[in-house]
Amino acid sequence: MSSEAERSEASGQASGETASSEPERSEGSKNASGTDTTMDPNVRETPAGKATGDRTDTLLQTDDLVKRFGGFTATDSVDFSVDEGELRCLIGPNGAGKSTLLKLIVGTLEPSGGRIYYDGQEITDMEPNERVRSGISMKFQVPSVYGELSVRENARLPVQQLADGAERRRRVDEAIENAGLAGYEDVQASALSHGQQQQLEIGMAASLDPDLLLLDEPVAGLSVDERTEIAERIRRLNREEGIAFIVIEHDTDFVGEIADSVTVLHRGDVFREGSIEEIESDPEVRRIYLGGEQ
Amino acid sequence: MAAESATGADRGALARIRGRLEGPNTVGNSTGFWIGFAVAVLALVAYPLVGNGESFSLFLVLALLGLSLSLVWGYSGVLSFGQVVFFGVGGYTFGVVSINLPDPTGITAAALTGVVVGGITAALLGYFMFYGGVRDVYVTIITLVSTMVLQTFMAQTAGSEWTIGEAALGGFNGMPAIPLLELGITGVVSYQFVFNTLELFVPGLGTVEVDPFYYLALAALVAAYLGLRVLVNSDFGRVMVAVREDQDRTQMFGYDVKRVKLLTFTVGGALAALSGVLYAARNVYIDPQVFALWFATLPVIWVSVGGRKSLLGAVIATIGIEYFRLSVQGEMALVVLGALLLVFILALPGGIVPWIAGKISGSAVPVSELDDADAPAEVSES
Amino acid sequence: MVNGLNLAFQFLDSFAFVVLAAAGLAIIFGIMGVINLAHGEFILVGAYATTFAVTAAGLPLPVAMVVGSLVTALFGIAVERTIISGFVPNWIGQRTVGRDLIEPLYDRLADSMVATFGLSLVMVQSARILFGNSIETVGTPFGNVAYGEFSYSTYRLVLAGVSILVLVAAYYVFTRTTFGTRVRATMADEQTAKALGVDTERTYMLTFGIGSGLAGLTGALFAPVLSMQPTLGDQFLIEAFVAVVVGGPSVVLGTALSGGVLGAVSATVTNLTDSTTFGRIALLLAAMLALRFLPGGITGFIERVRSRRQEGE
Repeated sequence: MSSEAERSEASGQASGETASSEPERSEGSKNASGTDTTMDPNVRETPAGKATGDRTDTLLQTDDLVKRFGGFTATDSVDFSVDEGELRCLIGPNGAGKSTLLKLIVGTLEPSGGRIYYDGQEITDMEPNERVRSGISMKFQVPSVYGELSVRENARLPVQQLADGAERRRRVDEAIENAGLAGYEDVQASALSHGQQQQLEIGMAASLDPDLLLLDEPVAGLSVDERTEIAERIRRLNREEGIAFIVIEHDTDFVGEIADSVTVLHRGDVFREGSIEEIESDPEVRRIYLGGEQ
Repeated sequence: MAAESATGADRGALARIRGRLEGPNTVGNSTGFWIGFAVAVLALVAYPLVGNGESFSLFLVLALLGLSLSLVWGYSGVLSFGQVVFFGVGGYTFGVVSINLPDPTGITAAALTGVVVGGITAALLGYFMFYGGVRDVYVTIITLVSTMVLQTFMAQTAGSEWTIGEAALGGFNGMPAIPLLELGITGVVSYQFVFNTLELFVPGLGTVEVDPFYYLALAALVAAYLGLRVLVNSDFGRVMVAVREDQDRTQMFGYDVKRVKLLTFTVGGALAALSGVLYAARNVYIDPQVFALWFATLPVIWVSVGGRKSLLGAVIATIGIEYFRLSVQGEMALVVLGALLLVFILALPGGIVPWIAGKISGSAVPVSELDDADAPAEVSES
Repeated sequence: MVNGLNLAFQFLDSFAFVVLAAAGLAIIFGIMGVINLAHGEFILVGAYATTFAVTAAGLPLPVAMVVGSLVTALFGIAVERTIISGFVPNWIGQRTVGRDLIEPLYDRLADSMVATFGLSLVMVQSARILFGNSIETVGTPFGNVAYGEFSYSTYRLVLAGVSILVLVAAYYVFTRTTFGTRVRATMADEQTAKALGVDTERTYMLTFGIGSGLAGLTGALFAPVLSMQPTLGDQFLIEAFVAVVVGGPSVVLGTALSGGVLGAVSATVTNLTDSTTFGRIALLLAAMLALRFLPGGITGFIERVRSRRQEGE
């Protein structure tokens, strides 16, 4: 009941009730590289959480995005966009190109064609680490925390560039606690369970104070309880910090718990978009999952 | 709680210093370690009184070279066979400049120039590789090839046309008659470190004559070791380790991995060049053998045996292995060395020192909180 | 005309040298992911074994060369069983302390470099201790070919021919024999190959043996033209190394192409500067540039171009 209302409100506009303060950090378009030449003067650069209740701004947009591997087209002229503070889920049958799209957005893959815009700026040629500094953060499909380092050292790494001293310690402790790993600070990350590693990695990705968080299968291999925990965390981050999400997941219950809206990918292109109810009741969507004709 | 008394304030300062020097990236983070360290340094200071300081100083100089590889390989994951390139460049530069400016100011400038040129060479090679997207084993191979290029090139600089100012590069026979290392400012203050004796009064032993170069090398080594400890335990050091562990993931946390590798490689190059400068100064001679394949691999041997992720291991292994190699005459030494390397890399790929450290302490908790050297520390014993 | 002939001979010389030096190493690196820095010393074994077979046992040269190659191949298998795969130490370990003592060096590029370098130190020094600083050499057969005022050793022409034969033979083995198929399967995906019944352990052992045998063959072939010192392997190592990496993932084609390209660079510069030293430097610099600009090596680059072409307009 109330969660429905909250979610539709959050998706309708950037929430003005965000209480957490943004840390001192170089803002999106004037990023670490210092170059600013592609800024579109007509688009306001308001990171999620700071808008004062106006119309929603598009945070991320792809324009005719293409990715080919040899003769195989993984991403086929995709026009895809996500608004500030929106919680979008990306679903689709295996091989539809979901992970590829996320990797294109964060920059670990270079597109074969098309453009990507983030926060009003074109980022198509931007290095991944610069995109991260601009506010995009990602958790990959395979949990990749630093196995040889302790939980605390893991948590500290993203944070240390954002804060010093007491503030830094606070953020590290907060990240560890939010991941449910309080008490595990000195444990080597490789000794954690799969679920704990996922939690840690989500926490690390979130601790960068991103505006857009990409999660590739955050609950793969987790128990039902763990899934509920993570769903709650994602909703909380979305509500309280105003972080926009793109989440790839196969678990429709999970998707139902968190999504504002859903995009269905099929064979590298956007097949359907809409609310979770619309998608679930769409016979075409069911058909592509069950392997009918395109 | 940090004590409120005067001793509490002292403890605060000491703890702060220790906080900078300690961390998860180095072995030895307890009071016991530092006591042992002090004892070892004192032992090294006293060594020339009982042993041969003149020959031992070579090992101290080479330990700097070992440290440079430990930094580059152990701490940011770049296996470089090219440290000897910067070593040799530093040495040759020192030779060339000091031969042309053979007065104390000139020689001092030559030493500095050697380090700087070595660092610049590393920066150029590093830029070529890292900013060109060259990865992993190909970086190693390029560094190996660059060693070969320099060896081949320098070995044929025998003709008289290969002269810079007064300094003839000398080809295969090398560059002799490098001026004696006298540092300072001409006419103001200077001191000759090489082929000189220092008279010390030691209570109980009377007046002793020692080799000042030995103490110069020792000071350089201790300073470099402590400096590197601070570096690897700093924020930048943690990023270096993250790059070593998983460079792609580290990039995804917003770090410019190429820049991190370039900076580390440059510092490593400058350190190797310092070693080369001291080497050339000590021997008053340098030749292209410093670029030879076997010499290029020696640092890899030292660091593999000592523990590449351990600065202390690099130092101990370098001194130990070189002492052994040069005191055991004959070809058997190299056979044993080769066998040693084989056994170590197969059985103890992490190296000796980390293995020992692991056995001793479990894991010693550093003095200050792991997070922040600036925080008022709880002085806790592990 | 004469200079053209000179250049041609220099090219054949370089090509043969690079290909023969690289052949064994390419196979081991490409298939097992092991960098054998003792490769030069395997060549040493082949050269010395051949020389001894002639000078001590009085065998005719061709037979001696076969002997030399075989000895090296067997030695290689012994090395593989002890150091590379750790089979023997682990066998001992299981029976004494109940666990494996060492991990195989497959795909551990940096560690294999360090370990095999240790091995090479042991081998060079052992050769020096056992046989002294040099041994009696075998004479160069066949005499010379004369043109203008130059003459060129016929034997070196033979070497060029042999290098091409080696490439062809390797290609044949890889693509036409069952063994070759097994090898390629293991290269592509070890787990799957195992699941399909390929004895990957034995494949690795045989592969290392073949690679060593080829190194031994190189030593045997070059024995008549080199001075027999314990360090003779050094001159082959870097060129071999560089050729393998510049060649790229395709073992046979890569070796052939990099032999061609690097050989051409070396020959041209040698011809222009009248100095083999500068030719060598040019080869090394060209290799560095290739590694920088063609990260997958030559054949890796070709594959990428081909797949990009496939993507169409």
